Amino acid sequence: MRSSSVAITGLGCLCAPGNNLGECMVSLFKGDREPAPPLRFTSSHSGSYPVFEVPDDLASLNHKGISDISLTARLALAAAHEAVGDAGLDREWLRSKRVGICMGTTVGSAMNNEAFYRQYCRDEEPDMAPITRFLHSNPASVLAREFDLTGPCQTVVNACSSGTDAVGLGAFWIQSGLCDIVLAGGADELCHVTYNGFISLMITDDLPCKPFDRERKGLNLGEGAAVLVLESEECRRNRKKQARAFVLGYGASCDAYHLTAPHPQGKGLRRAIEEAMELSGSAASDLAFINAHGTGTKDNDRVEAQVLNDLFPGIPFLSTKGYTGHTLGAAGAIEAAFTVACLEEGRVPKNAGFATPDPDLPASPVQSGMAVKETVALSESLAFGGHNAVLVIGIERGLL
Amino acid sequence: MRLSIQGVGVVGGFGCGVEALNHALANRESRTQSVSVKTAQGMRQMPAFLADTSKIEDFVNKKALRRVDHYSKLALLGAYLALEDAGQLEADRQRMGMIIATGYGASRTTFAFLDSFKEDGDKFSSPTHFSNSVHNAAVANVSMLLGITGPGLTVSQFEISVSSALFTVRNWLKEGRVDSVLFGAIDEYCDVLGYCWHRFFGEQEDAGQGMNPLSFNLQSAVPGEGAAFFLLTREENGGQSPYGFIEAVEMGRCGKEKLEVPEEVMLIIGADGHKKCGSYYKRYVPEIAPTVCYTPIYGSLPVGSAFDLAIAALSIKNKKVFPSPKNGCDKPGIKIVSNEQALGNRSICCLKIGGGGEWGKMTLAPFPLTRP
Repeated sequence: MRSSSVAITGLGCLCAPGNNLGECMVSLFKGDREPAPPLRFTSSHSGSYPVFEVPDDLASLNHKGISDISLTARLALAAAHEAVGDAGLDREWLRSKRVGICMGTTVGSAMNNEAFYRQYCRDEEPDMAPITRFLHSNPASVLAREFDLTGPCQTVVNACSSGTDAVGLGAFWIQSGLCDIVLAGGADELCHVTYNGFISLMITDDLPCKPFDRERKGLNLGEGAAVLVLESEECRRNRKKQARAFVLGYGASCDAYHLTAPHPQGKGLRRAIEEAMELSGSAASDLAFINAHGTGTKDNDRVEAQVLNDLFPGIPFLSTKGYTGHTLGAAGAIEAAFTVACLEEGRVPKNAGFATPDPDLPASPVQSGMAVKETVALSESLAFGGHNAVLVIGIERGLL
Repeated sequence: MRLSIQGVGVVGGFGCGVEALNHALANRESRTQSVSVKTAQGMRQMPAFLADTSKIEDFVNKKALRRVDHYSKLALLGAYLALEDAGQLEADRQRMGMIIATGYGASRTTFAFLDSFKEDGDKFSSPTHFSNSVHNAAVANVSMLLGITGPGLTVSQFEISVSSALFTVRNWLKEGRVDSVLFGAIDEYCDVLGYCWHRFFGEQEDAGQGMNPLSFNLQSAVPGEGAAFFLLTREENGGQSPYGFIEAVEMGRCGKEKLEVPEEVMLIIGADGHKKCGSYYKRYVPEIAPTVCYTPIYGSLPVGSAFDLAIAALSIKNKKVFPSPKNGCDKPGIKIVSNEQALGNRSICCLKIGGGGEWGKMTLAPFPLTRP
């Protein structure tokens, strides 16, 4: 690994496929997916749009003392505890280090409690608890409080690329010597407001989503969280901790084109990929696979397939959103965790939902689970506002 | 690595542009407007520092602004003013990044989106309101209108949003990811925030008497809104900077780390009339440094420290310390600057402490590293 690479020594992940990263990967490789109409809220839309929900009654989301924070924050906490445990970090020891927190979210930063607002509009005197809860639920601050940390604290709200950006930004905090350890990731809960928003944009599929398929009609929403423990080489060596993987590069750009649609030629995405690849010192031939954004919308998948085919012809690519739904601010972090796990296992799952190649797309995703032998992969996110963010992640095969 | 401040653009209750801010600082006051707030006893009037964004039409034609909401207009106006101030309106922006800090994001549009479906049903949800309600809509709108194709980032960390975002500005410039960063902070007032404000603070007996932020035991906050933008470069690229240089950005939490302020600096504190935050200032503001507090100029808003940063930059440009709008302080020993004085060689430290005890500190130096 290059001297600028940043070790990932712990992972935590929670979303519809599983309550931890191990469970998620078992589901992905089995090809399981069970999107269903939302249980947490009702909708007056004439049709039903399936979502990927995390059960509300999970023990990891409901442990003592966290009932007064949002579900987004509880998802973040659950993923962080798994990641910190996976990294073998002791809380007391953590407090003695320079530890930063960089978390992505969208819903977790929005003051949009519907029940409160409806009561407000009806001139009733709503309970202020939802507002207080919102004010106490900033994901990065919640983790800082939970682990009693005082280092840099940042909640990234870059819409759907937030999780990828948070990992990339956190990696630089390590590279530049600002932190010994960074907890980086993303978290988002499913809610009626975003559900309505995506349906209003007519980019939601009323069936399980079909990324890159000819018949794709849009995305399914999901929820979840993932946290990566990023660690400096000095810190890792001192405690003789083996890295699970490394963040090798991060690239980001703005399309400066449209609020909700990607640049038709993927100009910004190309730039972000090229920047991440250059920083990583990797070549296209080093890539085992690409974890694409692959939402299942017409525009996203067309642009992404074109760019990936131009830059990395023949490199397998897949979207894992067919298993998780689009988890918005958590997506980039969840997909980074999946990318590490796939590199470790030396295989990738099939692109769930893909059945029929689209003649308008120059390339098709992975159609059945396959083995990969290279040690580097790309994980990319495209977001509302024209944000593009790309991570290059690698493992040292000999160490596994 | 230090950051060079190339341009400043501000809009808030004090008016639009650095001259308006200069004027308010010189007069030691800024006028509030009256907003109507829903209460259990009917509508009530409450003061607020509101920002007028009509000047944006000097830069962008009306047609292009048709679907742009108040939050993004604040961003656009701040961005154009900062670029104009830096003489960079026509510059190439391929290697420019953009970072925005916000506490609450596009709150008016967030609730407008809820309005679109709350009465008539989900199928009437407005896609325009939804896509403009995300916090990063401002970065998107500014990058589209100004052609900024470097990385974009929006940070939301309540009162520490500004320090946290500025931390990443510095990192991007340090790692050479960009050559310049258009950095801004925005928060907007809306009726629901006013309602929450009234519910949380309005019934307290000492509320509504005007801002008196140095009386730390008093709840005297008046809500504000606005935008403060800066064009920032690495010091070596900027050479001389009329507004000085940002030399340090720090974050921490009261009680965990020592909150140190060097004796020789000017200290700008972001106390904004909230009792809970005031208790932290009372406890942690050191008594050694001459201190000023400018929140009565722009009001109380999560990203208020961006206005302190702008005022610090203006102080450096004008080589003087503007007097504190209010002088009375209920912590004995704090040296409040009550008359205009020369800045001299002093650095300026802007300190913001949030309601949870988290703090952000930004230090500006008047001189380049190699002093002339």
